Amino acid sequence: MEKNPSKGYIALLGWSLNAIEAAENFDRRYVVVAPDWAEEYCKQHDIPYLPWNFERLNDRSMEIAQTLQEMGVDVAVPLFEETVEWAGAINSVLLDNPRLLGQAMLMRDKSLMKRRAQLGGIRVGIFEEAHDRDDVIRFLKRVNQTLLKLDGDPNDPIHFKAFDKAGCLGHRVIRTPDDVDAIPEEEFPALMESHLDGWEFAVEAWVHNGKIRFLNISEYVTLGYSVFVPASPELERYRDLITRQIEKLVRTFDIEFGFVHPEYFVTSDDEMYFGEVAFRPPGFKVFELLERVYGFNAYQAMMLVFDPKATEEEVAAFFPKEIVDAKGHAGCFGVYPRRRVVSKLEIPEETEDHPYFESHELTPPIEETVTKRTAFGTHWGLIFFAGEDPHQLRDLLKHQEELDFYI
Amino acid sequence: MDNDTPTSTPVGDRLPGLLEKLDSATQALANAPDFAKPGKLGRVLDIARRVMLQEGGCAAVEERAEILEEAGLYLGSDWATPHILVPSLTTHSLKSPDMATVVIEALSELRLLAVARGDYTHPLISQEQAHHYLTQVMAMNLSLLFSGPSEAERETQGRLAQLPRLLLQHLASRIGYEHVIDRLIEEIWRILHQRPIQVDSVKQMITQIAICQVDPEIDLGTSGQGADRLVSSLYGPTQTCREDPGVAVFAERLRGMDGQALQMEATGFARAMHDTGLVSPYHAILLRHLMDHGDYLVAEALGLSSTGRDCLLCYRELVMALIREAVHPTTPQSAYGMALMLERGILYQPAVAPSLWRQLALPLSQWSRDRLQMAYGDVATPRALLLEGVLCMLGQPLGVGQGNNPTCQSARALSMWGFNDPDYLLQMVAWAARDDEIIMHFEGQPISSRESLSGVATELPMDLDAVSLLVVPHLDRIYAEMGRRCVDRGGDPHRWVNPEFHGWWSGRGFRINVDVETGLLVDLEDFLRHFYASYHPYYNGNQPLIHPQPAGIAVTDSAARFIGWHAITILRVALDPEDYMRVYFFNPNNDSGQDWGDGVTVSTSGNGERFGEGSLPFEQFASRLYIFHHDPLERGELADISTEELERVIDHMRRSWGAQRLSGEQLQATSGA
Repeated sequence: MEKNPSKGYIALLGWSLNAIEAAENFDRRYVVVAPDWAEEYCKQHDIPYLPWNFERLNDRSMEIAQTLQEMGVDVAVPLFEETVEWAGAINSVLLDNPRLLGQAMLMRDKSLMKRRAQLGGIRVGIFEEAHDRDDVIRFLKRVNQTLLKLDGDPNDPIHFKAFDKAGCLGHRVIRTPDDVDAIPEEEFPALMESHLDGWEFAVEAWVHNGKIRFLNISEYVTLGYSVFVPASPELERYRDLITRQIEKLVRTFDIEFGFVHPEYFVTSDDEMYFGEVAFRPPGFKVFELLERVYGFNAYQAMMLVFDPKATEEEVAAFFPKEIVDAKGHAGCFGVYPRRRVVSKLEIPEETEDHPYFESHELTPPIEETVTKRTAFGTHWGLIFFAGEDPHQLRDLLKHQEELDFYI
Repeated sequence: MDNDTPTSTPVGDRLPGLLEKLDSATQALANAPDFAKPGKLGRVLDIARRVMLQEGGCAAVEERAEILEEAGLYLGSDWATPHILVPSLTTHSLKSPDMATVVIEALSELRLLAVARGDYTHPLISQEQAHHYLTQVMAMNLSLLFSGPSEAERETQGRLAQLPRLLLQHLASRIGYEHVIDRLIEEIWRILHQRPIQVDSVKQMITQIAICQVDPEIDLGTSGQGADRLVSSLYGPTQTCREDPGVAVFAERLRGMDGQALQMEATGFARAMHDTGLVSPYHAILLRHLMDHGDYLVAEALGLSSTGRDCLLCYRELVMALIREAVHPTTPQSAYGMALMLERGILYQPAVAPSLWRQLALPLSQWSRDRLQMAYGDVATPRALLLEGVLCMLGQPLGVGQGNNPTCQSARALSMWGFNDPDYLLQMVAWAARDDEIIMHFEGQPISSRESLSGVATELPMDLDAVSLLVVPHLDRIYAEMGRRCVDRGGDPHRWVNPEFHGWWSGRGFRINVDVETGLLVDLEDFLRHFYASYHPYYNGNQPLIHPQPAGIAVTDSAARFIGWHAITILRVALDPEDYMRVYFFNPNNDSGQDWGDGVTVSTSGNGERFGEGSLPFEQFASRLYIFHHDPLERGELADISTEELERVIDHMRRSWGAQRLSGEQLQATSGA
């Protein structure tokens, strides 16, 4: 698309074809900052590209920021958890705002993030940091003592999340000391939280000039398996409450612009508990689901709200109206093989023939033996559904858990 | 096998919803910059697949052909250059287990259809070119047009197997059947020349032609004229039933006929039957009617020569009983089997007639009845179906086919027994059909088919003639068990298994030219010289082959690439009408006429073949041979064949399955010789 030089020049941090495609079709100049293995591909396809290997922030961090500044880049947009702190560092230079780095570091550390939230008056569960397995055992015991459990009663689970991993990666549910033994060394340090019996959901919010410009509620049907947007009326009835929570979050974390993806629990007494928040696109292709129902490209939306040159009018015109502008509901289901040994991919007829079924991203199995899932793990691919009725969609997504896609 | 319905469950019309999805996926593909297109392709293909499986789906895709291509569907693939696509490759791509390959091929066909119809002006291919290409595609894939998916296709393609069929039907309805008919007729005659026992798919093809001929919507032009004999042999072989009046009317007409008229009928039906190997249901009615009108007319209606007539007269009671039990309008092929069986004179072998009496009275086990019914439905009683199968196997022992199953060994054994040892075959049928068990002996040890659990085939084969349907599962298990008993012996187990499995006449001497360990060719010269000495009349003292002998060949495809090992029977070695020495053999594969590449094309007619035989010039046959049996007590010395001839054979090997198997030493030896 024709680029408008009066609008912002955006750096995309990390390699995402969907994001690049969105940038290509957007009226802003862009450059992809990615490891050097992407160079040949970018050359071949005329994709503006700057090589950079994202490791831990180090002495050379300034170098990339200056390079981008010299190129005239206005802002950097993080596409992955690992590039969030890089975006913070780069943007603090580009926008001459040192606090942006600190803000990004908060987003990268689950424990710091929780403390900050707590300081801001946001409700969180009981949590603690773990540096080794003994910490985990102690926490498990203490939480269950608090719940007045006797020795031998089944434990209430605790959640264990590696500090700096995205989403469900490194997220484990711990019930017994055996579960603790199964945690690999490299997942420490980690955050431990008590289990909240509630309804977990996620939010995607685009913030511009300190105000929420679009707020989506993603309803989890089963955590780690399925999600759909917009949420069912039962969850959407909390929208006002949720919006106030997110406003609190935006204030607490001092967010002027950008995109946040927090997770919350709502308990049976309508109390909201903060889980965690991320400063990058959500997993499970929620962006694609949003595009399916609302028609706007969520990556372009990110570039827009990050762009310091974006005007109020442009932002207001870009976003549709939540819920009322949605064309039905869209959801996806992450497939895990259910058998130990699989030989082929076969989409169940009932799934494929369902009018809500849209498409799938499953590929034939590469190996026959299925490795046992440890943490929430990685699914083998997503299946997309869309339809008018949120309840039918929810039940459909739930039902997929009982089907074999790999046999 | 039939519990998975080919297309969709009828929950309303899914097409509009799917088309909406297809259009939006196509739009997304079109909007994507080139580098992002591959990521959008999968969705378009998957939805297109679902669309094409719906009724009217192919038409809808045809309408979108131009939009799809412009969106970048074929970008970077061979299909982007339709003017250089090769029609014959479609037979592979449409049967591919890979969804994307099948779908993109189908989409490309529909695009060319739009071009051929003049709806889409393509920059690279003209309307005429597209039309010509599609005509060839249809002719190449005739079987897809007229038959349901085989078991093998179901296994590899699943529901996808339906897609090429729907595609071909759509192509044919748009391009016109007239362009395929002539090719189809040729194909049918070629198959019928081999006189297969199973003729259902042939009948289906002929029926399609008949339907096209009477459909006023279809203009066949000048094509399809060669179909008359085929169609009439099924639907109206004589004047009395020319207009296909239905069996009741025909039976009524017969009742009003005198001897002269019946004689005319009998001759007419017999001619049709022997011309094609196909039997009309009316023929069964006629035969049943003629039973009360004297043996002479029955013999006429079966088209018997003096040999067959003699046989009929000698065993009159038996033949009448067989007609009564086996020949019905729903089992008409039994008449052809009967006629050929009588002609073979095998009833004069003392054990055969009593065995057939046993067969007539044979109680079938529940399992046998169920299986027959599962495979054929309830068109006739299981007993009549089995009798028809028995008569056909005795009359056309070279018409046995293995279906789409890896059971060539069992099919070969059945054929060999039908040919050489008919009462033994009948014994096997009795054991299998009545007792659900066959016991054979391997080196003195009994092997029960009931105790040997697994065979070569992992699933029970269904696409077989009635006899094979009941007997093959037993034979397959026994064969596999014999193989299991040889595992620790080293070398190829066929050395021991073949003679024990097939019969005493299989030579105990055994030659193989492949080293089982390495897969390399070994002792090639000795092997060939020995083969010539054993089988070639010029080198074995002009001794015609006495008994059919099992042999193993390396099957190659039309590009001469190795496909697999295959069991066949060498039947005779003789001079053909051109005075060229040929090997005539039986191939249990359903269609012997195969192109094995490098100029080696198995002939099934025109070179002195009898019905069901395949043949190759001796040299060419030797070049695909890897196992043969011989009598160890017969002439041991190697044939003194010329080095030129030997070279020619080895060159054939080198250019085909032997390419990777000839070690350097042999190459040297032969090139130095």
